[in-house]
Amino acid sequence: MTITTNLAPKYGKKEFSRRHAATNLETVITLSAGAAASIYGLVRRDWFGAAFASGGGYLLYRGVSDLRRPYKGRARVAFTIGKTPEEVYDYVYNPENWGHLLREPMFQVDGAGNVTIRLGRGEEGVEFKSRVEITDQRPGDYIAWASADEMFEHRGVLRFKKAPGDRGTELSIAFEYKAPAGPIARSLAALVGLDPEQLVREGLRQIKQLMETGEIPTTAGQPIGARGLKGTAERVLYHERPAAEMQPQSLAGD
Amino acid sequence: MKALCWQGKNKVDVERVNDPKILNPRDGIVRITRTAICGSDLHLYDGYIPTLEPGDVLGHEFMGEVVDTGSEVSRVKKGDRVVVPFTIACGQCYFCKHNLWSACDNTNPNAWMLEKLYGYSGSGLFGYSHMMGGYAGGQAQFARVPFIDVGALKIPDGLNDEDVLFLSDIFPTGYMAAENCDIKPGDVVAIWGCGPVGQFAIRSAFLLGAERVIAIDRVHERLKMARAGGAEIIDYEEVDDLVEELKWMTAGRGPDSCMDAVGLEAHGTGVAAAYDYAKQRLKLAFDRPTVVRQVIQACRKGGVVSIPGVYGGFLDKIPFGAAFGKGLILKMGQTHMHNYTEKLLKHVEQGDIKPSFVITHRLSLDDAPDAYRTFRDKQDECIKVVLDPWAQPVAA
Repeated sequence: MTITTNLAPKYGKKEFSRRHAATNLETVITLSAGAAASIYGLVRRDWFGAAFASGGGYLLYRGVSDLRRPYKGRARVAFTIGKTPEEVYDYVYNPENWGHLLREPMFQVDGAGNVTIRLGRGEEGVEFKSRVEITDQRPGDYIAWASADEMFEHRGVLRFKKAPGDRGTELSIAFEYKAPAGPIARSLAALVGLDPEQLVREGLRQIKQLMETGEIPTTAGQPIGARGLKGTAERVLYHERPAAEMQPQSLAGD
Repeated sequence: MKALCWQGKNKVDVERVNDPKILNPRDGIVRITRTAICGSDLHLYDGYIPTLEPGDVLGHEFMGEVVDTGSEVSRVKKGDRVVVPFTIACGQCYFCKHNLWSACDNTNPNAWMLEKLYGYSGSGLFGYSHMMGGYAGGQAQFARVPFIDVGALKIPDGLNDEDVLFLSDIFPTGYMAAENCDIKPGDVVAIWGCGPVGQFAIRSAFLLGAERVIAIDRVHERLKMARAGGAEIIDYEEVDDLVEELKWMTAGRGPDSCMDAVGLEAHGTGVAAAYDYAKQRLKLAFDRPTVVRQVIQACRKGGVVSIPGVYGGFLDKIPFGAAFGKGLILKMGQTHMHNYTEKLLKHVEQGDIKPSFVITHRLSLDDAPDAYRTFRDKQDECIKVVLDPWAQPVAA
């Protein structure tokens, strides 16, 4: 059986664009840092300089090779959910259910396949809009999709399979993507939890949590003491709201 | 409200923080009437548990009155007096349905952190670092309790707070550790560590039919309490070879089961203990597994090693050959609390055990920073500290 994850027959475009691994800006940064380190190292003419020069050489190599190599990330994630394949399929197939996913409304799909990915909060937030089309599907079995534009390319297959015994459904996802960023920006994004694999993993986990328990576990908005400098910096990692958003509330006799 | 917040290694403060509120439909809010400091809180105090951050509210042994419930809560009502188990379980995943409650799939919001470390994540815990869920703990005046219908144990009138509080952790933990020993008539159980969990393990072993319990420690008041519970005692600092001593006491058979109720901050004596200290100091190791080595060495052939003591990382120089050669059964892990709370409440109601025997210090929440130090340094014959979050400080 072949599952189609390709929009080329419909739009006559290339299957996946050949956009390169790094953006031009990142290439310029990498190449200039590499050149500077190499020259500094060569001028010093000692062991420390040699180390510097080889580091610079590596950066030059990365800068050139990233510029030539088309980038493609891929990942596979699976969860077992204690519901029947039909229940899980129906849940996942309904775009309204995707609005619940991820603690903040970061990722939304509407009925027409328009995907909105939102980074940051309030008016300072940035929105990426993308269009997703279902390329192939069989109810209760699989859904394949592909993005319809080149800004953030992704495509993959969601599969629903009965798990052995009384374990429910194996919900798996295999996908490929090209993020609109080079290696530097990708690493920074991964640091704040915006790595595509991690986002998809947490999305599936939350489908499981919602289907099994009716809620997504959270600590956002719970009481915390003084965080200090390091703790404040790590709020992103622990999904904590900024202090200004924490509304004081009093229960009794305090 | 007032809450005890971790502020770094060896530093905890009572701070004013926001009151907790309902965040999810199955949450409840409990006004805490009694809370305790657990031996495992000392691992946090001493800075051994990663992903604990300044400002985190500690405490996972607490009880109180339900003052608010979310829209999907039905079993528990406002006004109920409840004890809250330290592990948080959803009640609906595969693991909860198979009575492996502390392995719950759905209660750790930071499951990815533990997945990186251990492959898979267990349930969320109260007040025990972000990788364990980052839930604010119960050494405070109020606490938010997720999935309160699943966990909270309703307490009938007529029972003291102090006699039911330990159903939140140490009594079930000691009991499960003893149950893991698979005790049969005539069995001798050896228990390393006479802290609060060890004390409950001693009494649980007798409840489960052990013939003899041998308790091992070096702190006199703890050994005294163990003897009061019916155990024979060994002060390990006064014997040359602990394994030989146990062999002697069991006429060459060895204890039928050996329990490590100590965990990652074992003291011990001799070269092995010094080696563990040095490695931990140099940050080459996270745990001091002195006791794990001893329980494996001392246990009889085909016996059970039960480990309720907490470990976190990679353990060094474990005599795995001895474990294999003797065909040992190893059992361990966070307590599956929800299997035990009802059952042990019955034991308390029937008067089989009076859990308040273990309390040595009754203080207010404001006294907690001093109490952590006293408990850690085993000063003032401290074995178990219970705090009243609403009382005036005792030591003011």
